Amino acid sequence: MPLDNTTEVETPEHVRFRYRVAGPVRRMLAYLIDLLIRGLAVLALGIVLAIALGDADAVGGVMLIVAFALEWGYYVFFETTGDGRSLGKRALSLRVVKEGGFPISFMDSVLRNLLRGADFLPVGYVIGLFVMAGDSRFRRLGDRVAGTLVVVEERSRVAAPLTITPPPTAAELEGFPQRPPLSASERETLELYLRRVDLTAARREELAQMIAPALAQRIGVTVKDPVRFLALLHHRVAATARPRADRVPV
Amino acid sequence: MRPQDEFVAARQPDWAELEQLLALGRGFRKLPPVSIARAATIYRAVSSDLMRAQAAGYSPDVIALLDGLAARAHNTLYSAPPYRMRAVWELVAADFPRTLRRHARFFALAVALFVLPGVLGFAGAMRSRAFALQILPAESVEQMEEAYAEGFGKGRKAGVNTFMTGFYVFHNVGIAFQCFATGVLFGLGSVFFLVYNGLTIGAVAGLVTAAGHGRNLLTFTCTHGAFELTAIVIAGTAGIVMGYALVDTRGRTRLGSLQARAREIVYLVVGAALMLLVAAGIEGFWSPSGLPDRVKWGGAIVAYLLVISYLTFAGRSGQARGEPQAEARP
Repeated sequence: MPLDNTTEVETPEHVRFRYRVAGPVRRMLAYLIDLLIRGLAVLALGIVLAIALGDADAVGGVMLIVAFALEWGYYVFFETTGDGRSLGKRALSLRVVKEGGFPISFMDSVLRNLLRGADFLPVGYVIGLFVMAGDSRFRRLGDRVAGTLVVVEERSRVAAPLTITPPPTAAELEGFPQRPPLSASERETLELYLRRVDLTAARREELAQMIAPALAQRIGVTVKDPVRFLALLHHRVAATARPRADRVPV
Repeated sequence: MRPQDEFVAARQPDWAELEQLLALGRGFRKLPPVSIARAATIYRAVSSDLMRAQAAGYSPDVIALLDGLAARAHNTLYSAPPYRMRAVWELVAADFPRTLRRHARFFALAVALFVLPGVLGFAGAMRSRAFALQILPAESVEQMEEAYAEGFGKGRKAGVNTFMTGFYVFHNVGIAFQCFATGVLFGLGSVFFLVYNGLTIGAVAGLVTAAGHGRNLLTFTCTHGAFELTAIVIAGTAGIVMGYALVDTRGRTRLGSLQARAREIVYLVVGAALMLLVAAGIEGFWSPSGLPDRVKWGGAIVAYLLVISYLTFAGRSGQARGEPQAEARP
């Protein structure tokens, strides 16, 4: 099993796709946003009522009822009417789905949110956090009982093809095989590495030094500049029409 | 095999079209049938694009795009059955009492776990104040003794009633939900909270009675108690049912067994919560009112008859139809 935070879903018609499962930090941020919204809503209502009614006890009572309704009803309402997204989840592009990738129903939402009572224990979702940490799909108790997952839904775009600057010279490519023998996951690693824009030059160099020698040895070239070598290698791989080394082309 | 760029260029218009349809969100369901059929067609095409892209080893960004598109299309096209208001009515009229009757043994167990410690707490607190102070914090003991010594003959302000109703809703339903939710720890949490609440309530009653204000206490609590105490016990029952699903799995995995019984469990908890809302209203307005004691006792009798007959008889007709599908074995 690959060590990443995705999970594969197979639908009844045998379509398979992968979800990126949301981790604790992202979910915590969404929770804080929701908490803030609920707090502000109760506060705003309190101010309005205090002006309108003036009776401190009655205002307190109504605020308690509203706080209660929000505490238990907020998530159920937004998750059912907003296709599995509370406002905080929406802000962090999270969505609650059933384990099979289906939308959650009212009952699922009620159940997963009722179980917050157990996840919250002893204080501040400690049990929930421990349970999530022990699950490959980051499900808290409520998610497990209701059979739901929280996934990240980010729009991705087809990136522009990678370019190599300056353009490779014939001398540089000397000794590279026409079709470098790389497995699909090695090619993927290479591409993901080259697409990383957030690396510092030193880190980029460091990473390249870790992988370049092994690949260079396999294809029998000597490496002067590891970063450049990886770019050249990718260039050569991309130029051949991406056949999969370990599979018969379809 | 096609090069990636050619593949992307050829398929991109379809992907963009699907993206646009999905961007409508809930509006998607109001589209004319043609558009929905079109979305379904592209969704199937996207699924095969995805498999093709995986087999051909296209770059991760293309795979990620198709994964996301397929996942969102699937989520939108296979929408959950809409929740109708009628289902709420059915829950109250039939599902809740039926489910409780089906788990009568667990209910009896929960009653015992609540009542026996209650009797113990009552007897202990009647006999020795020190015993009660072991269970209850000293300040709240004094507060309660004062409150019940005074009685409720005078009634109180409407604003205070509203405040207390809010407090009861927030506090009591919270306790019920906790009593239920902690049942996920093999039922232990529910057992603990049932025993703890029984003991506390018993001790308070014993203490107040020992101080000679038993009549005031009884008059105050008798009516809403019918709803409140029953509901707390039902929430505990739901927790125990949930915990037991982890023990007796009927051939499923523990999690599968829990999920299979989840629906019945929700019926119980939501039912209990609704009963607690009724209780909070009574406790805030009726119980502390200045009505004569006899009227309140009469109200209590009506309340108990109502609760007992509701839980015993509601939803009996047509019960066969409503047996849960969840019980079917795989």
